[in-house]
Order: sequence, then structure tokens, then C-alpha cells
Amino acid sequence: MEVVLKNYPRLLEGALLTLEVTLFSVAIGCIIGLFMGLLRLSGAKPLRLLARVYIDFFRGTPLLVQIFIIYYGLPIPQWFRGGQALLTAHFNVPDFISSYMLPVFLSGVIACSLNSGAYIAEIFRAGVQSIEKGQVEAARSLGMTSSQAMRFVVLPQAFKRVVPPLGNEFIAMLKDTSLLSVIGFAELLRQGQLLVGHYYVAFPIYLAVAFIYLIMTFSFSRLVDFTERRLKTGD
Amino acid sequence: MIRVEGLHKGFGRLKVLNGIDCHVSPREVVVVIGPSGSGKSTFLRCINMLEEPTAGKISIDGVSLLDPKTNINSVRAEVGMVFQRFNLFPHKTALENICLAPLKVKNISKGDAESLGHSLLKKVGLSDKANVYPDQLSGGQQQRVAIARALAMQPKVMLFDEPTSALDPEMVGEVLAVMKDLAREGMTMVVVTHEMGFAREVGDRVIFMDEGLIVEEGTPDELFLEPRNNRLKSFLSKIL
Ligand SMILES: Nc1ncnc2c1ncn2[C@@H]1O[C@H](COP(=O)(O)OP(=O)(O)O)[C@@H](O)[C@H]1O
Ligand SMILES: [Mg+2]
Repeated sequence: MEVVLKNYPRLLEGALLTLEVTLFSVAIGCIIGLFMGLLRLSGAKPLRLLARVYIDFFRGTPLLVQIFIIYYGLPIPQWFRGGQALLTAHFNVPDFISSYMLPVFLSGVIACSLNSGAYIAEIFRAGVQSIEKGQVEAARSLGMTSSQAMRFVVLPQAFKRVVPPLGNEFIAMLKDTSLLSVIGFAELLRQGQLLVGHYYVAFPIYLAVAFIYLIMTFSFSRLVDFTERRLKTGD
Repeated sequence: MIRVEGLHKGFGRLKVLNGIDCHVSPREVVVVIGPSGSGKSTFLRCINMLEEPTAGKISIDGVSLLDPKTNINSVRAEVGMVFQRFNLFPHKTALENICLAPLKVKNISKGDAESLGHSLLKKVGLSDKANVYPDQLSGGQQQRVAIARALAMQPKVMLFDEPTSALDPEMVGEVLAVMKDLAREGMTMVVVTHEMGFAREVGDRVIFMDEGLIVEEGTPDELFLEPRNNRLKSFLSKIL
């Protein structure tokens, strides 16, 4: 127990990194997901197929495998060194920015964004498809193009409906980033492992780790519930 | 105004329209009746290309809809449509529902759109509902907003697909009243409805459709008082 009390700042540091990597990944995942979700619904068959392949690959393979492929497969350390050299040569980069550039962080964000993007694409697709056909027909009958109907009529309604599943995706991703511990990314679980390796006690430390995850997921799911209620009354 | 010749429409193997010929003159009000499934909605939806005809010709004001060079969006902007289930945009207020298409399709200014919107709301008797969302309006009020929304594009023709059949009986009158005003102002209208009172009061012509064909047409009195076709007779005996 004292181990936890003495070292909790380490765990909180890890929790902060967990939050950061999750936020980045889900935010980028939303952009990828919106794009891929719309491709999936597009009229052009090759585009639909492209989106299909992407979505099926990232949903149909384990995230851990995707992390390994990206961490070991892409020359991210080289990019990193190149980018860092460029930055330090031209700018006075504060430390906290260059820490984001750590290769593990980059690999983690890339892997998690791609993975999240595939799930979010399906969330957006379902959201768009849940809007009644009559809405598009009304918009088209007024002379709007199909992209105007999408932008002004379908998407604003679909966005409200995707808030709860997006919240769930965020929570799922928050937990799944613990997989990044295997490539040595110093997120919450990794910090716990390091402490366990140092002090040779596991139970209280992992319990504390679990508790911190729980606090994060619980507060976030309350936030989602709250937003959901707000959106309902705002209709 | 509207010329339809040899219009066919099928969904896969199901043949819904089997050769419709129909001309609608400017300022004419044509009422379409017929049993459920006879293709009335499909016919209307072909007129603004919400359904793509399998064969035939349709032109509005001389512009052929099936010509690949025709910009279908600009044709639709001139053909208003009112749906059975209103199809208002639920995330927009009554005023925003009306202003959206003029703003985005015609690119008129916000001020102009809003004054147009207010004058149309006044026309349909809903001046006080400008900032209300559709879910706070009754069915009859929603349908009147939907009519105003279609009128905002200043269409040459208005199509109505059973505009009162999703309404509670006490709200039918207010919607029909708006439509009658429109007819008296000289709007060209094609109306699918089983409201015989409306047909006789403002209809210039009634068309009876059955199994994807126009089986009989004439003035309201001719069709309702002296029907010749047997299927029309039995149809009328069911709805009157
Ligand atoms: N999108 C569609 N796909 C397949 N069948 C359709 C579609 N729309 C209409 N139909 C069929 O076409 C027929 C005529 O429908 P409709 O035009 O709605 O008739 P009405 O409006 O006279 O009741 C019906 O049998 C209906 O099931
Ligand atoms: Mg119908």
C-alpha cells in the first residue's frame, strides 16, 4: 500500500499519457471515420470497396497485432529522428512538445487512430443510415444536391445520434491503449509494470492501476450520459 | 406545363407504371385517385425524378427531365413536393426549414430568406410558430410548414402526395384550406388525395389510376357522378 502512496505521481503521469494518447487517437479516428464512413456509403463502387477493406482489416485483426505491425514495420524512428533534427535546427522546441514526438507515442497514436477510425466509420455509417429516407428526399425535392442534403440535413441529425456510440468507443479505446505497454509506451499500465518490477509487489499496484482506469472510464461515461440528455432535450 | 408520355417504371421485376400519358396545363389542378398500390406515389415521384423512370418521356415547361444534359437539381427547384409524412427537418425551426433551400440552392441573402420565410408562414397561418421546432407542432401545422417550405423555392408546379392522410381528422381542413388558396391563386398542382370535397371544389380534372395505368379521367363531376369503368365504380363505392 505504501508503495502506491509513495509512487502515485508516477501512476498519474501514466494516466495522463493514457488520456492523451486516447484523445489524439479518437480525434484522428473521428476524421478518418467520417471520411471512411462516407466512402462506405458513396455511389462509387471502388471507393466503397476501399472503405470496406480498411474497415474489415482494422476490425478483423487484433489491435495488438496492428500495434506491432506499425511499431516494427514502419520506419517511425527514422521519421522521428528526421523530424526532431528539423525541429531543433529551426525552432526552439520546448520539451513537452518533443516528448509527443517519441516514436512509441507516434506509433501508438497511429495504430490506435487507424483502429479507432474503422470502428468510428461504422458508427457514422449507422448514424447516417438511421436517418429516414424521407429527409434526403425532401432536401432533394427542394433542389439540393446530394452533398448539400448530406451536409445540411443528414449529418447534423446523424451527429446527435452518434454521440453515445462515440462515447463508448472513447471508453473502449481508453482501456485498449493499455496494449501500448508492450511497446514500452509509458502509459498507465506500463508505469504500473515498472513499479512492480522495482518493488516486487504486484497486487496493490495493479489494483491501483485498475482503480485509476475505473475513475477515468466512469467519469467519462457520466459525461456521455449528460451530453446525451442535453442533446435529447435540444431537439 | 407537365407532359408525360409513355411513362413506365419498374422496381426490378415488379412493374408499377405501365405507360402513363398525361398533360397538365398551366394553372390546372389535377387530382389523382386510385387504390393503394396503384402507382400514384411512384407517378408523382417520377415527375420530380425522385424515382428514375424505366422508359417514357417527361418534360416540365419544355425541359426534358430524361435528357442527360438537363440539370435535375434546377428542375427540382421549380417543382415543389409535399409528402404524406411531412418530412420536415427536425433539427431546424419552422422558419429555418423554410429558409434552408432558398439560402443554399438559390444563394439569396439571410435577410431576404427570413422575410420570405415570415411572409410564407403568415400565408399558411403560422406567423407565431417561426421559432418552433417541428416536434412541437401538430400534424396539421407541420404539413402547413412543409407546404410553405416547398413554396419558398417559388415553384412552377406543386406535387402533393396524400398530404392529409397522415393527419387526425380535425386537422385535415386547415391543410386543405391552404391548398385551396393556392389553387385559387393559379398554382399548377397535381394532388394525390381521396378528399372528394377538395377534388370537386378546386379540381379541374380527376385521374383514376389502377395497376399503373390511367383508367379513366375527366371532370370531378364526370368521374364521381357518372363513372364508367367498373373498377372506378367499386373504388368509389368503397371510399364514399
Ligand atoms: N422503392 C420501391 N421499391 C420497390 N417497390 C416499390 C418501391 N416504391 C413503391 N414500390 C411498389 O410499387 C407499387 C406502387 O406503389 P405506390 O406508387 O406507392 O402506390 P400508391 O401510392 O398508389 O399506393 C407498390 O406495389 C409498392 O410496393
Ligand atoms: Mg402512395
